[in-house]
Amino acid sequence: MFTPELKKGSIEMLVLSLLEARARHGYEIGKLIESRSGGRLTFALPTLYPTLLRLENRGWIKGRWVEKPGERERCFYRLTAGGRRVLADQRRIWQAYVAAVNDVLGVDRA
Amino acid sequence: MRDWRAFVAARLALDTLEPERAARIVRELAAQLEDFARDARERGAGDAEADAFAEQQVADWARLSADLRRADRPHTRSHVDRLADALVARPEPAPFRGGSMMLSHTLRDGRHAVRQLMRMPGFTLVAVLTLGLGVGATTAIFSVVNGVLLQPLPFPEPHALVHVHEVVPQYGRFSVAPATFLDWREQGTSFEHIAAFGGTSGTHVGDDGPERLTGAAVSWDLFELLGVRPALGSGFTADQDVPGANTVIVLSHRLWQRRFGGDASIVGRAVTLDGVALTVVGIAPESFVFPATTTEFWRPIAINPANATRGGHFLGVIARLKDGVTVEQAGSEVKTISERLAIEYPDSSANESAEIVPLHDQIVGPVRPALLTLLAAVTVVVLIACANVANLLLVRATVREKEVAIRAALGAGRRRLVVQMLVESAVLALAGGALGVGLAYLAIAPIQSLSAGSIPRVTGVAIDGAVLAFALGAAVLTGLLFGLVPAWRASSTGFGAVLKEGGRSSSGGGRWLQNGLIVVEVALSVVLIVGALLLLKSFGRITGVDPGFRSENVLAFQVSLPARSYAADPQRIAFFEDLQTRLQVIPGVRAAGMVQSLPMRGSYVLSVVIDKRPPLPPGEGISANYRAVDPGYFDALSIPLRRGRTFTARDTETAPMVAVVDEAFVRRHFPDEDPIGRGIDIGNGTDGFYEIVGIVGDVRHAGLALEATPTMYVPYRSDVFSTMWVVARAEGDPVSLAGPIRQVIRDLDPSLPAYSMTPLATVLSDSVARRRFSMLLLALFAGVALFLAGVGLYGVVSYTVNQRVREIGLRMAMGATPRDVLRLIVGGGLKLVVAGVAVGLVAAVSLTRFVEAMLFDVAPTDPWSYAGTAFLLIAIAAIACLVPARRAMRVDPIVALHET
Repeated sequence: MFTPELKKGSIEMLVLSLLEARARHGYEIGKLIESRSGGRLTFALPTLYPTLLRLENRGWIKGRWVEKPGERERCFYRLTAGGRRVLADQRRIWQAYVAAVNDVLGVDRA
Repeated sequence: MRDWRAFVAARLALDTLEPERAARIVRELAAQLEDFARDARERGAGDAEADAFAEQQVADWARLSADLRRADRPHTRSHVDRLADALVARPEPAPFRGGSMMLSHTLRDGRHAVRQLMRMPGFTLVAVLTLGLGVGATTAIFSVVNGVLLQPLPFPEPHALVHVHEVVPQYGRFSVAPATFLDWREQGTSFEHIAAFGGTSGTHVGDDGPERLTGAAVSWDLFELLGVRPALGSGFTADQDVPGANTVIVLSHRLWQRRFGGDASIVGRAVTLDGVALTVVGIAPESFVFPATTTEFWRPIAINPANATRGGHFLGVIARLKDGVTVEQAGSEVKTISERLAIEYPDSSANESAEIVPLHDQIVGPVRPALLTLLAAVTVVVLIACANVANLLLVRATVREKEVAIRAALGAGRRRLVVQMLVESAVLALAGGALGVGLAYLAIAPIQSLSAGSIPRVTGVAIDGAVLAFALGAAVLTGLLFGLVPAWRASSTGFGAVLKEGGRSSSGGGRWLQNGLIVVEVALSVVLIVGALLLLKSFGRITGVDPGFRSENVLAFQVSLPARSYAADPQRIAFFEDLQTRLQVIPGVRAAGMVQSLPMRGSYVLSVVIDKRPPLPPGEGISANYRAVDPGYFDALSIPLRRGRTFTARDTETAPMVAVVDEAFVRRHFPDEDPIGRGIDIGNGTDGFYEIVGIVGDVRHAGLALEATPTMYVPYRSDVFSTMWVVARAEGDPVSLAGPIRQVIRDLDPSLPAYSMTPLATVLSDSVARRRFSMLLLALFAGVALFLAGVGLYGVVSYTVNQRVREIGLRMAMGATPRDVLRLIVGGGLKLVVAGVAVGLVAAVSLTRFVEAMLFDVAPTDPWSYAGTAFLLIAIAAIACLVPARRAMRVDPIVALHET
């Protein structure tokens, strides 16, 4: 439904926002994007995982291996302080961008 | 449950990442895939279905790998690290990787490499041949150098062994007079032992007829001095080393086996030599060689102190220094003794001195320059071979850039590609190495036979393991080093770039390297070829030298009359006259003659006093070559008569004493006078003056390279020798005379052998054997260098043409003619060659002076050799460029421009 180009521009922000409330592991992030978007947004593993790696390398998120009793080990990612600032910036820019695009498109802002 | 880690590890190619990062990524991807599978199972899928679902999550592993590598860039390792990793194949598999997989990869790589190499037979053949020649030549030559020059003599504490020379005013280092030797032995304090040796020979008559044996007359303690114990028996004792008591003999192992069937009971029994019974007191060890490889027996020299000569120099003297005595100390001691003797005995020893040389230097000194030159030459060949292989691999690498890029795009990890390239190089290097080893083994025998007479110790040469390992290692290293270049390039430029450029990426760095290698290769070749041409020209000059006699169709041999049965001169004269008469009537004999000392086979110099000249002070008397000949000698060797007459049958022992001299004698001693009719008193034991009756042409007695020195001839009947050389000129092949001649001698005396039988032409060519050896090998190396340089250039030009097809097409579309294209391509190649030739010529000027000692009648700066080299290389280069240039001329502009 959405072209890859369109999705690509937002994936980093989506991941960061999902980690805002709490730490999550990779598989969970993919599933959450899918469910919260009502299945309209899906990111395959080959897209999602390199993004996590990239974000971590930029110092915006931090992965930690956790092994819970009765469960397999998983890498949980949490937002860093830097990541939090970036997310705030991105949100602001995104909303400004959406507003600008809507203005151009003539969408009723009700 | 599925092992997802192994699944992921096998598919991800993260070689450029730090291993910890790669491991973590694999771990997490595996965890996520497992999550997918678990979810699927929870939705009711079966195990296989769930696994398949998880597997489908990643469709393109290569792309994921690339994305991950890009995403994780801060953790990328440096090029150096990666190359090092690739070079040092980690023996233990990475923790997440199965060992069996690594092994199967290597095997697959090996098969793949062989397939790849077979697919380019031209490249493979040339590369393997190049490496093989390099490895083979180095191994063979270094083995010779090692065996001859570097290995110590095969005696205990060889550094204490020295050779002692007398030094005489005219000739420098010289053989030793027996009386002098006795004085050294008595007065010297530096020596643990000092021993004399001289040549001897004897005829042994066995069941299969008489045989002349070569032996040595030695001081009784020679074996002890060398530290060698007989293999059987006890050897000589001091009381056997006196005249009359020396009827004992030590046999060489070879003679013992050959002539006496290796019978141990021979020790203590008698063998008969020249009719004299000698008790065998020992058998030498099999490996014992002294003083010559031809020596088959030893007898005590038994010098009689009462009448030992001081004027006749014919002994070799060796000594073992006492512990702590240096060569210099011993040298100054013998010098002191000899200089005292020179004052004491001015008549015989005026101005004489003495010198000591380490025995090893004495034996190998004369061949050292030639061998070191060859070693240098062969090193140059190896350098050229390595440069060439490097170039070939570079060319190939560039040609294959596209293939490599495609394979990378298809998912082959860099590590895998690097390993594959390395395996390919290794296969190539090993094949070349194996060929080289084979060549080296094959080369040793011809080298030995080519140099047997001219290089000491060469019979003991064997392929040295260390040398072999070195040469092989060099080959493999070259292969690996340059096999890595494509991998290096791929990882530095990125495969994508290569693909986008359609396989025509011309990376400037590689071109520069290739061109540089060609220039170096050509320069090295120039040095070698100049050297080879100089030696070749020298050899041509020296074999073109007129020796003063004609050797064609002449057979030479020796006959020796034992003192026991031919005690007095009349008996010997009767035998030789009889022999001469019978030789003349052998069918096919055109002329026959006799001489006591054959040209090229040792000198025989005697003092001479010219009549009606004021006496000369002691030590400044004159001497000249001396030859006792029969009347047929000059005719048999075609030595031309210049004036007067030669000898006739009337010049007998009772006739007036007459002599013939050569032109050199006249030039030296009668420059402004007529020598005919003048008298000369020769120091040969006869009284009175010989009247000079004729002048003959010069003969180079001492070797082709040495100017003829004054020579005097006398009729053999005035000075009868017991051993004579016979020369017989045949109508055709001289060897055909061998049988009839042996028969004639058997008829005369069945106990006499005709020995040393050789065509005179062989004697002559043996005299230049060492030169021929150096010349042939250097010429061979130069040929190899020329070939390699040509191949290298061909490779580079050929590559350039491939790279520039588009440009050439464009030029042709713009109106360039095929001739222009030819000029462009050949010109480009020749530019490199001209640069190389220029560098090489300059280097050659400064390097060829090292071969100056090996040259004859040719200056090390001989312009023809330099010009010839430049011409040769440029001609070969033109051919090497022309082949690919013709391909370039046939480029169809339309096709070339559309191709990309």
